[in-house]
Amino acid sequence: MPSRVLVFTWLVFLFGHYGWAIWPIPRSLLTGTSPVKLSPDFVINLQGLSNPPADLASAISRTQSRLHSDSLERLVLGRGSGDAQAVEGAHLLSSLTASLQHGSPVRSIAEETTLAFDDKSESYELFIPDDRAVATLVANSTLGLLRGLTTFEQLWYDYKGTKYTLEAPIQIHDEPAFPHRGFSFDTSRNFFPVADIHRTLDAMSWVKLSILYWHIIDSQSFPLEVGAFPELSQKGAYSPEEIYTREDVNNIVAYANERGIDVIMELDTPGHTTAISAAHPEHIACAAKSPWSKYASEPPAGQLRIASPSTLSFARTLFSSVASALPGTMMSSGGDEVNLPCWEEDEETMADLVQRNITIADALNEFVQTVQGVIKEHGKTPFIKSDMVLTHKVPVVNDTVVVVWQTSEDAAAVANISLRFIHQPSNYFYLDCGAGEWLGNDILGNSWCDPFKTWQRAYSFDPYANLTTDQYALVLGGQMPLWSEQSSAENLDPIVWPRLAAGAEVFWTGSTLPDGSPRLGMNATSGTNALARLHELRYRLVDRGVKAIALQPKWCVLRPGECDLDA
Amino acid sequence: MKLPCLLLVAAQFSRVFGLWPQPRSLQTGSSALKLAPTFNILVNVGHAPSDLENAVSRTKTFLRSDNLGRLVVGRGASDSAAVQHAKSLDTLELSLAHGAAVKSITDEARLPIGTRSEEYTLHVPADGSSATITANSTLGLLRGLTTFEQLWYEYGGQVYTVEAPISITDSPAYPYRGFMLDTSRNFFPVSDIKRTLNAMSWVKMSEFHWHVSDSQSFPLEVPGYTDLASKGAYAPSMIYSPSDVQDIVAYAGARGIDVMIEIDTPGHTAIISAAHPEHVACAEASPWTTFANEPPAGQLRLASAATTNFTAGLLASVARMFPSAIMSTGGDELNTECYVQDPETQADLKATGRSLEQALDVFTQKTHAAIRAEGKTPAVWEEMVLDHNVTLGNDTIVLVWISSANAAAVAAKNFRLVHGPSDYFYLDCGAGEWIGDDVANSWCDPFKTWQKSYTFDPLANISESQAHLVLGGEQLLWTEQSGPENLDSIVWPRAASSAEVFWSGPGGNLSTALPRLHDLAFRMRQRGVKAIQLQPMWCALRPGKCNLDS
Repeated sequence: MPSRVLVFTWLVFLFGHYGWAIWPIPRSLLTGTSPVKLSPDFVINLQGLSNPPADLASAISRTQSRLHSDSLERLVLGRGSGDAQAVEGAHLLSSLTASLQHGSPVRSIAEETTLAFDDKSESYELFIPDDRAVATLVANSTLGLLRGLTTFEQLWYDYKGTKYTLEAPIQIHDEPAFPHRGFSFDTSRNFFPVADIHRTLDAMSWVKLSILYWHIIDSQSFPLEVGAFPELSQKGAYSPEEIYTREDVNNIVAYANERGIDVIMELDTPGHTTAISAAHPEHIACAAKSPWSKYASEPPAGQLRIASPSTLSFARTLFSSVASALPGTMMSSGGDEVNLPCWEEDEETMADLVQRNITIADALNEFVQTVQGVIKEHGKTPFIKSDMVLTHKVPVVNDTVVVVWQTSEDAAAVANISLRFIHQPSNYFYLDCGAGEWLGNDILGNSWCDPFKTWQRAYSFDPYANLTTDQYALVLGGQMPLWSEQSSAENLDPIVWPRLAAGAEVFWTGSTLPDGSPRLGMNATSGTNALARLHELRYRLVDRGVKAIALQPKWCVLRPGECDLDA
Repeated sequence: MKLPCLLLVAAQFSRVFGLWPQPRSLQTGSSALKLAPTFNILVNVGHAPSDLENAVSRTKTFLRSDNLGRLVVGRGASDSAAVQHAKSLDTLELSLAHGAAVKSITDEARLPIGTRSEEYTLHVPADGSSATITANSTLGLLRGLTTFEQLWYEYGGQVYTVEAPISITDSPAYPYRGFMLDTSRNFFPVSDIKRTLNAMSWVKMSEFHWHVSDSQSFPLEVPGYTDLASKGAYAPSMIYSPSDVQDIVAYAGARGIDVMIEIDTPGHTAIISAAHPEHVACAEASPWTTFANEPPAGQLRLASAATTNFTAGLLASVARMFPSAIMSTGGDELNTECYVQDPETQADLKATGRSLEQALDVFTQKTHAAIRAEGKTPAVWEEMVLDHNVTLGNDTIVLVWISSANAAAVAAKNFRLVHGPSDYFYLDCGAGEWIGDDVANSWCDPFKTWQKSYTFDPLANISESQAHLVLGGEQLLWTEQSGPENLDSIVWPRAASSAEVFWSGPGGNLSTALPRLHDLAFRMRQRGVKAIQLQPMWCALRPGKCNLDS
């Protein structure tokens, strides 16, 4: 049977896109040409788990519910009507049996999700027969079962209430190429209600993203309630309604973890901290100083007084208070865009430097060591922004993970100093680029990282570009960020979706597509290949209430390939 | 004695007001004034038309539901002491100037462009005595009510202003202040169009340019030509029925907006081939790049007498669905190769002895005659006068789109024109290439910011003697990459930029405009329109602190 399936797969591959909206594409996928439909009383059974974790039971129940409520018809002319006859005579699937590999530990999805990367297992095997009533899903962990359920949901189309596929038997062996597949989210420039974050986490889980990298505070507002310093959000949030309470944070983290998403919180320091001055002006140099362009990359200026022992002590307590309240094994201290004139013109900082007989560089090293030390004390791996190690050459602890952001070129430089890193280059992944200048009184100003990063651009990214083979192990994955100077709840879905899915597939599949072909190669993003699948994902997102944008006129969507450049 | 004082205040505190577009003449004081709990609007107009009564009732609702805190640090907390002791305003009185005829807002809004009366005066005394709006038409009263709604902020349940007395004399610089929506590339439900019309009316726009059909889909059900939609719409649920059209047109009219429908011809018509393949040349021909600017290729067989008659009949039937005095027949991006390689067209040309240009002239004259017979003045895209030698009526309105530099050439030919240049007003630019298997940028990159649109000069390179030809302008949304999901966020508040340029006149100050535009965007969000944030809220609450040079 395997050889028969293989032959069919190649036929499908050669003669064009058939259907199914699996995104990210599985690492190994064999399909046939038999129609199979779900029985009206289709059920998912857990086998061998007498007392399943509650979040696994919830995940199964969400899948069951989506199998009923998803109403995506196949994106071809005539939609599902052309399949009516095949559906009529399709083989009936009555259940999916999900089980853990013999001997696997039984832990909740949340527990598996918050394990360290090396201990995490997301792999699964899924088989949909065309001659038996029971499909099977097997994994080493409940997290793997969740990934498999997510894939299972994407196999089915709707025609007049019947859910079917035309491509059984389907055999999938799947696992991610990289453990860190993320979305970096800025909730400081503008605030996002908890409900919007929940919806985003849902959509992230549908494309098997594994990390919410939460850039929760910045110079503009401080929306995080900190146990040790409640005054920071009381005075630094935009309003009392625009605060993430400890309960909100716990709720968001739990919601994420149950969906296979770990949360890395970033407390960006020592720059990007002006909002702290609302409660603690004594800790901030050059707060809202003018002209801002001399003291910061964007208004308002303001940085922690890194040379001040009392500010160091404040930072220690801040990180400790936040870290102790969070599960997970990772946390970021940020570190991007520190501005030297801010400190050089700050009397307090200069006095501290003189008194302690140290330089700004010494003080910066001490600051980073201090906050990284606190993160380590809480059993977490520290993340840091790439300019700290590349521009400022700050020594960091060995297991530090560097967030490469300025340009994709910086990845090789970070690899050359043997630090692990994730990709977040502005020239491929910044979702906010291309929306024009947001600063006032700048008529012809474009976005600093113009142009707009299309899904094709993000999709063409090679995580191993310019690296030597022995440096590959340093790449943990990557993430696409939304900096929210020009975003808020109003445009969150359309600016993020479906583009974020491009990054999700890059870091699930690795440097090439599963068949070894490059994502930038001939036809890779054509309407018959990745674009067809991305259209389907977009329609499924909209069907589920996420306002993902249209990538093309619907005319093109229903005629795969006819709107390619060379069609 | 009073006037210098008022001017001083205006100079210092002009940013407090969220008026958009900026009135032509505005005087303000520095007294607090609050709306009385019993505040009411009296309509001193005999036999007031129902759309005026409805407008008044919408204004009363907004005054209570906007709940917009002033965009300053503290959101109005510092105003509360002054407001506590402020006088209360009980009444706003609306009246028409002596001798003005009483017509509905809808009728006034649909008058021929250039003959509408939108001017009004608004007075809000500081002492609590009645405020007044006076106008020469109910449409002017509507514009005044719209301004009145924008005067008020809320703090602690109190609706107030801190700038009474207020005196406004206002009228638009240009009659055509529009927004164009393409409902063919992707479909937009009626409710989304209505929400857009609402937002348009809040910035006093006067024209909804509805690019209803194109090569991708034909979503308009046209009496006598129903197969165009039944076979050419994306889905049966994606069709505007005649009753949908009536609904949209009435909704727009009641809000002071005229609807100019466009059936783009003879190009941009591939989808007509779904029902009538006999009328379309090069339908879905490949490679599309040879035959069209975007897929699918397909143009009406303009040299065919049958196709010309079909098109004239279609346009006449559409004309009867729309009460406006203007209608667009399109005319952009005509592709010659499509006709060169079409045997039917070549045979027709040979039989009639015409060149392609001559055939286009005949086609256009017949289609324009058909809509003129229905009482419409035609509008066309600029190529019809700049690239082709077509006989057009003197009163034809020309839509300039390719470049702002082309307006002067249109004016030089003595045609009335509407500005819609891609280099200033295309809302869809900058979102990347949408064609498959291509990693290019948007053809009209970069994104057109509100700031760029705001600097548009309607009279650039146009002589004083031709200035009267400029009817106004519009921002446009082509929807290859848009749908209901991002309609609000891609349009608002950017489309308000040209609304002010064409109401208040060009040359506005970017620095003082930004706080007002923030105010408008926040008010739109309060009213359910998902306008994007232009800046971090930190900046919105601190006018001037996030300028390039601050």
